[in-house]
Amino acid sequence: MSIIFVLITVSTLVAGVFLAAFIWAVRKGQFDDDRSPAVRILHDSLPTRNEHP
Amino acid sequence: MDPRTLTTVTCYHCGDTCAEEHRTHDGKDFCCHGCEVVYDLLNEAGLCDYYDLERQPGVKRDASVDEQRADLFDIEEVRSRLVDFSEQGITRVRFNVPQMHCSSCIWLLENLHRIEPSVIRSRVSFADKELSITFREEKLPLSGLVRLLRRIGYGPQLTNARAGSRRTGVPYMLYIRLGVAGFVFGNTMLLSFPEYLGADDEAGLRSGFQWLIVLFSFPVVFFLSTDFFRSAWAGIRSRTVNIDIPIALGIVALWSRSLWDVFTGHGPGYFDSLAGLLFFLLIGRWYQAYTYRALRFDRDLEDFLPLVVIRKRGQVEEPIKVGHLQTGDHILIRDQELVPVDAILREGTAHIDNSFITGEPLAVRKNVGDTIKAGGRQRGAAIELEVLRPFAESRLKQLWAEQAAGEGRPPMPRMIDALARRFTLAVLLISAGAALYWWGHDSSQVWPVVTAVLIVACPCALALSMPFAYGHTIRLMGRRGLFLRDAEVVERMAQVDTVVFDKTGTLTAREAHEMRWVGTALSGQDRTVLRSLARNSLHPLSAVLYKELKDPVLDAMNVEEQAGAGIMGVVDGRPVRLGSAAFCGGTERSRVAGEARVHVAMDGVHRGHFAIAKRPRTGMAGAIAHLRGKLRVALLTGDARVDPELLAAFDGATVRTECGPTDKSRSVREDQARGHRVLMVGDGLNDAGALAQSDVGITITETSAALTPASDAIMDAGALQQLPHFLHLARKARRIVVASLCISLCYNIVGVSVAAAGHMTPLIAAILMPLSSVSVVGFVTLATWIADRGSRTK
Repeated sequence: MSIIFVLITVSTLVAGVFLAAFIWAVRKGQFDDDRSPAVRILHDSLPTRNEHP
Repeated sequence: MDPRTLTTVTCYHCGDTCAEEHRTHDGKDFCCHGCEVVYDLLNEAGLCDYYDLERQPGVKRDASVDEQRADLFDIEEVRSRLVDFSEQGITRVRFNVPQMHCSSCIWLLENLHRIEPSVIRSRVSFADKELSITFREEKLPLSGLVRLLRRIGYGPQLTNARAGSRRTGVPYMLYIRLGVAGFVFGNTMLLSFPEYLGADDEAGLRSGFQWLIVLFSFPVVFFLSTDFFRSAWAGIRSRTVNIDIPIALGIVALWSRSLWDVFTGHGPGYFDSLAGLLFFLLIGRWYQAYTYRALRFDRDLEDFLPLVVIRKRGQVEEPIKVGHLQTGDHILIRDQELVPVDAILREGTAHIDNSFITGEPLAVRKNVGDTIKAGGRQRGAAIELEVLRPFAESRLKQLWAEQAAGEGRPPMPRMIDALARRFTLAVLLISAGAALYWWGHDSSQVWPVVTAVLIVACPCALALSMPFAYGHTIRLMGRRGLFLRDAEVVERMAQVDTVVFDKTGTLTAREAHEMRWVGTALSGQDRTVLRSLARNSLHPLSAVLYKELKDPVLDAMNVEEQAGAGIMGVVDGRPVRLGSAAFCGGTERSRVAGEARVHVAMDGVHRGHFAIAKRPRTGMAGAIAHLRGKLRVALLTGDARVDPELLAAFDGATVRTECGPTDKSRSVREDQARGHRVLMVGDGLNDAGALAQSDVGITITETSAALTPASDAIMDAGALQQLPHFLHLARKARRIVVASLCISLCYNIVGVSVAAAGHMTPLIAAILMPLSSVSVVGFVTLATWIADRGSRTK
């Protein structure tokens, strides 16, 4: 049964890592703009030149 | 191309309806030269994907957006406001670009490097409408970059406020608190499972988890709750009871009782409820903190005026900050530029458009020697002015200072605070009563029962109902074009009983005109001739004439424009003159205010004149009639005359003409002194005082890029006729809050009676707390949505 203490400790630590990652993401401004990154990802292909219909 | 084609053609670039004879290029239709040029530019750079991403995404170059000469951007004082850093010829700047509106805009602005090789990288922040560009300044000066942006229709707005300096929206600390709350809440619940299931304490599982939970509770109290404690403390110090006082009381009671339970071995405590409470409360805070970040509701006068003007000394032209202008300086103002100070016209003919100040779109002609007040926009050729008084002493600045120093609007108590006062009192009375009762029966029960009452009475659902109901209302209104500053405005709107309108620019559209012909009847051929001549003039009235007459055009010959008089030429072999009465050989009869006249002479004979006036917005008469059914309605206007159509709508209501800016705010103040709650709808700077004075001030704007005076809300011009609906929705939202308060009070009463009887267990608390929060939030969300649907179909 004592294995559960190890498990709990490990899982809490993992959760703590995710919490730290979340705080890092907030500080880096990942939640500042929710529109442009979503659009940006669709735009990355190079468009064709002068062949617009 | 047949100019009489009746099918409507829309511009390939901007999607506007094209005039009958428009430009076709590359097999595509364009409404104006500007759009065609942008298309060419994009086509050359191979950026025509722009048009595939969204339908007609282009931005029409809008003259009403304050545009300064691009080379002003190279002046150090302006440059330093925009530049983030600059090192070894590489510079990063941040612009405010309010024109961006769709994914095509984002795509184009982030592909700037393909049009201009000096641009290294450009990034858009759509929520802030901000564009940050890294570029090689040694190859391309800042002014060149600005010119490029203007060419493609995304000219940056230059205001005195530093771009990005005032960050609004959800503070990032709130996100972190929310994250921590979720982490603690989830873990605490997980670790409480043995307790919930009543597992045996073999292997010390329960007690082990217990201490872990105690550990987790520390950030809850000392990090997550600080805002609530601070607000409660502020309330106590100012001797007002706010909703945060019972909440803070509940948090303290929960935590101290739980610690006591654990340390004395009485039980597991209520740590899971505590974490859940904070988690839900913070969600409410987050929901309420959402605002329209790209809109600015507070503005300084300096935002409206140019930063720098060109001063002329002898033959030398040099840029100078507006604040440094001295009396007697000569300044140059070009087409579309704002006059920043009171000045006297020294050279050229001024056509001053005061729409910025009054909302009046028709330009006023000024001759040499006339005084021009600060805030007017020149339309036409460059003019030279002599500064009459420095900026700090200008009439506009004084007006602004007066408004800022005004008495301010009467306070409106928040419903939630009035309720919190009674609620807190009731909770304290009940716990005191329970304490007394148990003191007599079983004194060991006093502490547990009193803390249980305080815990259960914690008004979590109460505190959630308002942010969610008003937050939803704000979003629903925003979808229809009314953008509120914050949730409190909804409650203010719900209590409004008087609606005051400004006329010019608010009830009448800014650019739409009504044209009436007075004189001998014109044949179709006559109109063709007139329109053909009008096309050759830059005068704003000619532009109206050209737009309103729908006849085909011919070429005009021997065209000659006389500044301040009119234009003449020969069309189809007939000599034609357009302009003032004297210029056309007619006599000027009594003029009507708010109406401009263009006289017409054909074949040497004065034929009459066109009277041009503004047109009221469509649907307003109906909306006003609707409003008048429930509320007091008034009209305040600076003009001497009100259009008969509008007057009919306001029949019997207060209509005051010739109101100056101070008259307007005084009128609002008088209404408030009589106990009315006033909502004011206005637009120009001359309404700014009245907007600030009224309980709810709404600014009307036609373009998202326009500058608006400080106000509680900003409204799309097209949404004005929905004003009755908005007011209705606000009142509904308030009623929904009341209903949800009743629901949460029911929970509290049930909980408190269980607790006062001494039956409160951690499990019941852990179920009751989230249940009440979730059900209240669910009810509020659903009810607001139904209210919006219901009132829309009406």
